[in-house]
Amino acid sequence: MTRAAKGLSAFVLMAVMLMLPGCGDSEPAVEVDLTRRERLVAPQRQKTITYAYLPQYSRTVSFQRHRALLEYLRVTTGLPLHQVFPDTFDEHVKMVQRGEIDISYSNPFIYIQLAEIGSTAFAKIVEPGGTPAFSGQIICRSDNPTIKSIADCRGKRLIAVDPGSAGGFLFPLGLFYDHGIRLEDFSEVEFAQGKQEKVILAVLAGAYDIGTIRKGSLDVVAGMIDLSDIRVLAETRNYPGWVYSARDGFDPAAVGAIAEAMFSLDPAIPEHREILGVAGMSGIIPAHDADYGPIRELADKVGR
Amino acid sequence: MRLFSRLKFRTKLNLGISAILISMATLLLPLVGNMTAKILLEESRKRGTALVESLSARAVDPLLARDFLRLKNMVVEQVAVGDMLYAFVQDNHGFVLAHTFEGGFPVDLLRANEVPDLATVHIQLLADGMTRIYDFASAVTVGDERLGTVRLGLSKTRINASVNRQITTMAGLFAGALLLATIMGSLFASRVAARLGVLREHAEAMLMGNLDTQSNPADGSHCWEIRNCDLSSCPAFGERRRRCWYIAGTMCPDCKDGKELAVSRESCQMCKVYQQAAGDELQDLAETFDVMALSLKTHIDELRGADRNLREQQRLMRTILDVTPDRVSLVDTRMRYQGGNRSFAESVGLKLHQIVGRTDFDIFDEQTAEARHMAAREILQSGERLDTQVVVAEETGERWFHVVCIPVHDEDGRITGLLRTDRDITDIKGYEKQLIQAQKMESLGLMAGGVAHEINTPLGIILGYAQLLQEDVPSGSQVHQDLGVIEKQAKVCKKIVADLLGFSRQTHSSKREMCFNNSVMEAVTLVRHTFELDHVDIVTQLDDRFPIIYGDPEKLKQVWINLLTNARDAMSGGGVIVIRTRLDTPRGIVSLWVADCGEGIAEDVIKKIFDPFYSTKPVGRGTGLGLSVSFGIIEDHDGEIQAQSPLPEVFDFPWPQGRRSGPGTVFEVNLPLDHGKDEPVKADGPDAEQVGQDI
Repeated sequence: MTRAAKGLSAFVLMAVMLMLPGCGDSEPAVEVDLTRRERLVAPQRQKTITYAYLPQYSRTVSFQRHRALLEYLRVTTGLPLHQVFPDTFDEHVKMVQRGEIDISYSNPFIYIQLAEIGSTAFAKIVEPGGTPAFSGQIICRSDNPTIKSIADCRGKRLIAVDPGSAGGFLFPLGLFYDHGIRLEDFSEVEFAQGKQEKVILAVLAGAYDIGTIRKGSLDVVAGMIDLSDIRVLAETRNYPGWVYSARDGFDPAAVGAIAEAMFSLDPAIPEHREILGVAGMSGIIPAHDADYGPIRELADKVGR
Repeated sequence: MRLFSRLKFRTKLNLGISAILISMATLLLPLVGNMTAKILLEESRKRGTALVESLSARAVDPLLARDFLRLKNMVVEQVAVGDMLYAFVQDNHGFVLAHTFEGGFPVDLLRANEVPDLATVHIQLLADGMTRIYDFASAVTVGDERLGTVRLGLSKTRINASVNRQITTMAGLFAGALLLATIMGSLFASRVAARLGVLREHAEAMLMGNLDTQSNPADGSHCWEIRNCDLSSCPAFGERRRRCWYIAGTMCPDCKDGKELAVSRESCQMCKVYQQAAGDELQDLAETFDVMALSLKTHIDELRGADRNLREQQRLMRTILDVTPDRVSLVDTRMRYQGGNRSFAESVGLKLHQIVGRTDFDIFDEQTAEARHMAAREILQSGERLDTQVVVAEETGERWFHVVCIPVHDEDGRITGLLRTDRDITDIKGYEKQLIQAQKMESLGLMAGGVAHEINTPLGIILGYAQLLQEDVPSGSQVHQDLGVIEKQAKVCKKIVADLLGFSRQTHSSKREMCFNNSVMEAVTLVRHTFELDHVDIVTQLDDRFPIIYGDPEKLKQVWINLLTNARDAMSGGGVIVIRTRLDTPRGIVSLWVADCGEGIAEDVIKKIFDPFYSTKPVGRGTGLGLSVSFGIIEDHDGEIQAQSPLPEVFDFPWPQGRRSGPGTVFEVNLPLDHGKDEPVKADGPDAEQVGQDI
């Protein structure tokens, strides 16, 4: 073998050695046969009682808030309760109308709409503040020098939670009406599709001058933003709070069982207090349709 | 090793670079390959983990809403790009809500990887025939509520392929680097080898004697260009072959003196020219080479110059020694000859090179050698020079030599030899004799002049009384005749006395401007008749230009008459005398020739004819003073007189018709036309004037 051939052989051997590290595989593996396939068919779901939370927050928040309460109701009543998640307030109303939501947890303004389609209020919550009522707030950036009072809101850009939001739109709108400010007096009005957090963040970002939210929403975003950056310009009067209603035609016995279980929740009991706390309430008490006259008056005032 | 040492520089460099790169590749590629494989796998696992966690987070909302379309879109988006093989979502009961498989779901996957409730992601390697898959499982939770599971399948085979591609790319890069390094190394080595080749060629040329080589390129910047210097008298100005710092003794005002510049590297390193024009080690070597060649050439030129100078000095010395008639020789302390000149060598009958090493006894007869040896030994012992005259008998007769023998000392003062010079002074000895004779003659002339002066007066009285007595006695009487004899002989005596006075320069000269031809013709006229009685014809060939000289007409006429009389006396049977004059204006002389066709003058006699009292005539016919007196007169006129016999053919003598008597003689007299500062010679005393009056 010539010198050149030796050199070439050494080079080839070296090249082969260089390729070896990429070929080694000593990691244990689970043997599978991907060719063995089957067409899967979804198991038929059992008939359940649908429970829906008016989508003022995201689905995850809604799920987390009412997951424990639903579990409590399922255990207590033995009913197959199942939470569903409508996308918007209108969708929520339409799902109730279509019978897709049996138990509806909504604000009072949506409730008067549900009542028009046959729903019946049977329970209302006690706000964390201890009253079965709540209010709305008008917020702006703390460093906004042009807005000192409600009158300064004229001509400004407004963002609200949803046209059907009680605390997040209608309560503050009634306050604006009381100060002679109409919806058309704002230079721009935008809705956050039912999300309180979006209103707060939009105002904080400066995209809008003022925002209208349900009182207590700032606590939801306390871990996300510095609350000192947001100034509460005004707060509405208290209106009747959130309400549980059963759709038209729903089994009254089931309603009764559910209501009894709800009324049985005692904040003194740690487990119940935890369930109520997660759900953003301090208790559930009986409710009647007549409790929501002020809401209907407000609706008339703002033309809703 | 011998084979390696015989390889060319370029080949060695390429082999070295290749060996380095191959070694690096051999060592680094496996290491880097493993590291790359591990990093890629780890990154792939992290990427898969991130993807499955992201998908899990995004699956919460559609799971809550039971939005199967969104779930489907989400899993499809995961496998749309990259190396993701599959993705699917299970609910909390394990039922697959959405997946990316076509033609059914591979049921083996359902239990192939499960994520515990407390864990977020679990990775499991799956093997399906030739394919290996990393299965990532992530629980979909809200709070502590588990909604389902998301699964992703990442192809490890593709990861391995990526690793292999990475390693192959690296190997390719190494190969490319090897090729590039080889090419660059070859170019670099070619450049270096070419420059080394130039140095080698120039070294060979230097060995062959060519020192006009230049290893350093002539282009580039030079001292006067960088400094913008116009000092054209500086040695560095216009010097393109060398950098200025190698030109010692430059006149640059910013530079130190050349000697210091040559030894101080610091001054060079601070120099702007050095900083700008300095190169690598090869350039330094080339410039050093050039300087070495220049220094060697300068040294050789100096040696050649010194050799030429030495040869010239030797030749000059040899010429001086050989040309001199003196016999010069040099012996060492052992009395052996170290050299001699040509005259010495010829005197001893040897060649020059045959003298060296011989002794006196080798080249002289025993008596002479003994004498020279003893003299030399005495000088070596005494250290004193020898200065003497010796007479040597040679074949041509006795010759006198002035011998000078001096000791030769070395730098320490020790005697290393003897230099002997033998100068031939035979002629000087002859002149010495002649001088003695001349002194004798001068004394004799003075004595004769004195005697003649004293005799002149009584002779005049005798002549006067004889003439007076003749008047008292009858003419034709015996007494009258006797008185006539007395008168005649008294006149003869007076003539002799007059010649003696002339010979002794006791008469004065009366020079004036005179016609040379007239002087000659007066003399000819005076003697022509008398000569004709003796059958002697005088032929005159005088220059028609009538040259005028400054002289004493009477004395010159006496000369002419003497020459004519001598010519006549040389032709006892008669003949022809030619007297010829010629004016030579360029030379400033006028010449006179008196030629006869007589018996001529022998060669040994002609040297003595101007001596006083020398005469070839019989007793009573001449006193031997005529030519000597004539010689004195001509010499008094700053001229010269000479005789030549026989007559030269070029004289064109008009020989008498029908016969050609003797060889003939011609006297030539040359007198200067310009008398210069010559003043008339005044008589020394009243006697001279008296003599003139007497005559």
